[in-house]
Amino acid sequence: MSEPLNISTLEGARRDALIRLIITLADSKRILGIRYSDWTLGAPSIETGVSTSSMTQDEWGHARLLYAMLKKLGIDPAPVEHDRPGEEFASIAALDHEQPDWAGLVVLMTLADGAVSTVLRSFATGTFDLAQNRVPKMLAEEEFHASLGSAWYRRLAATGGEARQLLTSSTEAMLPGLLAWVGADDDAARLMVDAGVIGPASERLTAFRDLVRDFVALVGVDIDSVEASADWDEARGRTPGRPDEEACQRARGDLNRALLVE
Amino acid sequence: MNEFVYDVFTRKERGDRLQHVGYVDAFDDETAKIYAWTTYSEERWFEMCVVKRTNVLPVNRVDGLFVEAQKAAHV
Repeated sequence: MSEPLNISTLEGARRDALIRLIITLADSKRILGIRYSDWTLGAPSIETGVSTSSMTQDEWGHARLLYAMLKKLGIDPAPVEHDRPGEEFASIAALDHEQPDWAGLVVLMTLADGAVSTVLRSFATGTFDLAQNRVPKMLAEEEFHASLGSAWYRRLAATGGEARQLLTSSTEAMLPGLLAWVGADDDAARLMVDAGVIGPASERLTAFRDLVRDFVALVGVDIDSVEASADWDEARGRTPGRPDEEACQRARGDLNRALLVE
Repeated sequence: MNEFVYDVFTRKERGDRLQHVGYVDAFDDETAKIYAWTTYSEERWFEMCVVKRTNVLPVNRVDGLFVEAQKAAHV
């Protein structure tokens, strides 16, 4: 590993790039928690509902830890968490809308959560000390999410019929955006690679493809043939779009503003 | 889709007796472990394990949950 990142000398575009990376990871965790919570009631069994509730709590805990990293850059995380308009959210596009069916949530658990963990794994082994210290515990908690997603993905893929069809269409719809996000290779991403904060785009993409290859093959998708989305929003480090307004209101805590405790 | 009953056993501290705390329905061992861990999360368990109910062999009873599980497994 290279020398630890010296935050005190970090300025300009490199500082902005680190802020963008932290926010896209934190926003993704927060909105992922909301998407899991959408299925706490209505999951296929009580046990599965309890598990999605538990994953919701994990994701929100991870989001708070990630937002808190902004303090090290002299930024108060409270306005970032509670005052931003939806257009500024940098969560991955796969989370922009509630999943319409359980198969979609399983794809989210396996592929979208897997994409976030892939980038976090790269972040944890980089030069930013807070990521080295905080992210490994998140990744340990994520093992449950990956196991549950994997068991359900295999189960639905083997079932056939409508469930398999829904799994396939969600997989095909989600992958291009996830590949673009994991393999971000614009100026800001390259600055982070040069500073050793994350690994190169090719390394992240290889890790993600290896992670999901066997799953998506179950529904006839060859991960090596899927192309990343070409559209890209460089300011936020995600593909164009934004989470729906209801999710943003919940993420910001709009309805509980008077009760906010920091 | 078939589901199975898994009984959940825990001990709170090292040296405690392993106690039966409940059960979960799951379609395989892996999901049973996840469901047990997330459902019975009221304590910081030193140890938790699950046993597929059909693997429990009744010794002295000819009726009850474990006998029924055995019968169902062999239908």
